[in-house]
Amino acid sequence: MEGRGFEYPKDTWMSNSGRIYVPSQSRDYGERGVRITILDIDSGFFGTFGHYGTDPGKLISPTSITANAEEELFICDDYTNLVNVFDVEGKFLRRWGLGGTEAGSLSGPSSISFDSDWNVLISDTRNHRIQKFSQEGKLLDIFGTEGRGEVEFNLPWGITCDSADNIYVCDWGNNRVQKLDANGKYVGEFTSAGSRPNVLNHPSSVTIINDEYLCVADWGNETVKVLDQNDNLMQELRGEAGLSKWAQDFMNTNQEEHLARESANLEVSLDFLEDRTPHAESAHIEKYFWSPVSVKLDQSGMLHVTDSNRHRIQVYKPVS
Amino acid sequence: MAKSIKYIGRDSMSDIELASHLMRRAGFGLRHEELLELVKNPYEAIVDNLLNETDASWLGDYMVRRFDNEASGMINVPGTARTWIYRMISTSNPLQEKMPLFWHGIFATGIPKVINGRVLFDQINMFRKHGLGKFDELLIHLAKDPAMIVWLDNQENHKDSINENWGRELLELFSMGVGNYTEEDVKECARAFTGWTIGNTDYMMTRAKRDSDWPYGRIAYHFEYKDDDHDDSTRTFLGETGHFNGEDIIRIICKQESTARFLSRHLYHFFVTDEVPVPSWQDIEPKDPEAIDILVKAYFDSNYDLKEMLRVLFNSEFFKSEKIRYKKVKGPAEFAAGVLRLSKEFDVPTRDLIPRHRQIGWMGQELSNPTSVEGWHEGQEWIDTGALVERINFASEFLGNKENNGVKQIIKNIESSSSGHLTSAEIVSACLMELGDLLIDQSTYDALVEFSDSVEGVSEKISGVLGLIGSTKEFQMA
Repeated sequence: MEGRGFEYPKDTWMSNSGRIYVPSQSRDYGERGVRITILDIDSGFFGTFGHYGTDPGKLISPTSITANAEEELFICDDYTNLVNVFDVEGKFLRRWGLGGTEAGSLSGPSSISFDSDWNVLISDTRNHRIQKFSQEGKLLDIFGTEGRGEVEFNLPWGITCDSADNIYVCDWGNNRVQKLDANGKYVGEFTSAGSRPNVLNHPSSVTIINDEYLCVADWGNETVKVLDQNDNLMQELRGEAGLSKWAQDFMNTNQEEHLARESANLEVSLDFLEDRTPHAESAHIEKYFWSPVSVKLDQSGMLHVTDSNRHRIQVYKPVS
Repeated sequence: MAKSIKYIGRDSMSDIELASHLMRRAGFGLRHEELLELVKNPYEAIVDNLLNETDASWLGDYMVRRFDNEASGMINVPGTARTWIYRMISTSNPLQEKMPLFWHGIFATGIPKVINGRVLFDQINMFRKHGLGKFDELLIHLAKDPAMIVWLDNQENHKDSINENWGRELLELFSMGVGNYTEEDVKECARAFTGWTIGNTDYMMTRAKRDSDWPYGRIAYHFEYKDDDHDDSTRTFLGETGHFNGEDIIRIICKQESTARFLSRHLYHFFVTDEVPVPSWQDIEPKDPEAIDILVKAYFDSNYDLKEMLRVLFNSEFFKSEKIRYKKVKGPAEFAAGVLRLSKEFDVPTRDLIPRHRQIGWMGQELSNPTSVEGWHEGQEWIDTGALVERINFASEFLGNKENNGVKQIIKNIESSSSGHLTSAEIVSACLMELGDLLIDQSTYDALVEFSDSVEGVSEKISGVLGLIGSTKEFQMA
């Protein structure tokens, strides 16, 4: 799994030059599969970096990627509890972080984002809190504790900010997205309650569209939902992937498999499923999202959904 | 046996020891505090709860999927197995996980031919859902199970060219046992299951043959019945004649006395006492023929209901007898799950489940990768020198680790139970109690006391004794 392709990708980030960076977490101890892949929207491949290991510049379990104003890449690792910084060519620059439960320590960081002052916000998952750091790793603030109430979290995952520095946190274990102000004060929450029975189910990632809409990776429902600021469901995506260029190249060079695929019904009726959970459905229908773990908007407003169990990125154009 | 220590407010330990025995056999063992809660109810009610309990609040699947990629995408079996192991160590309904272990040992299906972790996961889930239901319904689900279809080549069983593999094993290994049917019955059984296959057969088998997870991971298999590939001719099977399809065949199989005896002996073998390996059953009588008769009666009285058979079994004198306690070798998965439940290493799933799964394989039981279609030979065959060392090291490592939450709790419980000096004998007795009211041989007990005497510090004594208990003969047994 070296070179082109992803193996359990976890996130995306696109540079101003159009390069896309995708961390793959691989499986098991994943010595071969852990890396950051560089590509562009046309599937051009520009190499990999950040392979498996604990030495500086190496990664064990990369979970999330973002970049500062200088386009230094910040990548957190939920096994080493480190934030690793690289340049856009993949050259290692520095790293910081310490595992633990004390203030400023991390336990399983799963998502990283910047606010408008270019401070680092980290979803400190197993400590059930959000921590704010300087870019050099100095602790600036801590929000939240374990629980179900306001500014309480249960294994938080995706985190992002809007232009007013409101912070949106996927409160995974509590099936909601919490909105906090820049000081960590509770503003509100989103559950997509109006869309019952498909209310948010263990959301993994959130991004904000034009400061108006939330785009949420509804991980437990294997969908992507768009909500307005009043928690109304505006749109829901189940996944529409076809073959990528890389996948088509594979098929072209593996004709036996390609021909068998051509004659297969890839959208079978799922009436046979006894427990028709979204996860089970996605195991059978390849085009569906299966473990959508990240939603990100690129500079042109296109939505990148990291479709982890299918080892691909689904890209959607905005329609209005 | 060492004399059991007394508990305030309890005159007899027999009820808690019986509950401990039940939960070692029907589950993975319980800690003392859990047993105390359990024995507030009469034994029969405990059995009823065990058989009827559901665990709707359990969110372990989400937890495993979030923190273990392969337990979500299931390209191969390690993810499948780790999901199951995490269930075993975290569920409040242990029988629901023990039954799939029972069926997995009989309907042994593995990755070398199936080449798809998700499909094997689906099979274990099917056992979880139907493994305590009616046996005829379970066999029908098994016949339609995509993993089993591929494992025994039924996708190659066509109207004009039968493949007998599934038909033969259904009779020989899964229901009646050798000597209770003819070769012609095998052929007619196979013909009845022609057309029972998986959807997108060519694509799925091409991918399996190539072990391909490109371009987008595995696609789960699904059952498909192809009427145009089914041989609908009149057939005679086990003395009955008709246009029998697969369901009819299973209905006829389940009416047979031999099926009832075969299933009863399996239940006895798994839950009561180790029998000789299955291939010897046609030559060697059951250890307890009367017990088998009781289970056979329960089978027919309940219209093949496994839950009712188990209710009879767990409430029987032959199950409750002190003669069979600590006489059954724990299988590697149940052994490891029991240790990890006690040590509480995994309050939430972590990547350390990866080596735990491997360690269970080194003990001789790689889940979803049985040694053959016969499954594993259980009982004493679980123990060889290599496997025993693995087991002892495993138990010692995790029960002796003071950093594990379960061990911390035990140390705290024991230290807080006494305001004064704890003797080594008291520490050993308390550790045995905390680990589920275990009984051990007097000589083992004396050795543990001697060990405790040689260690400085109460917490060190306790963790050391806990680790050593894991290496005792009794701890290897259920």
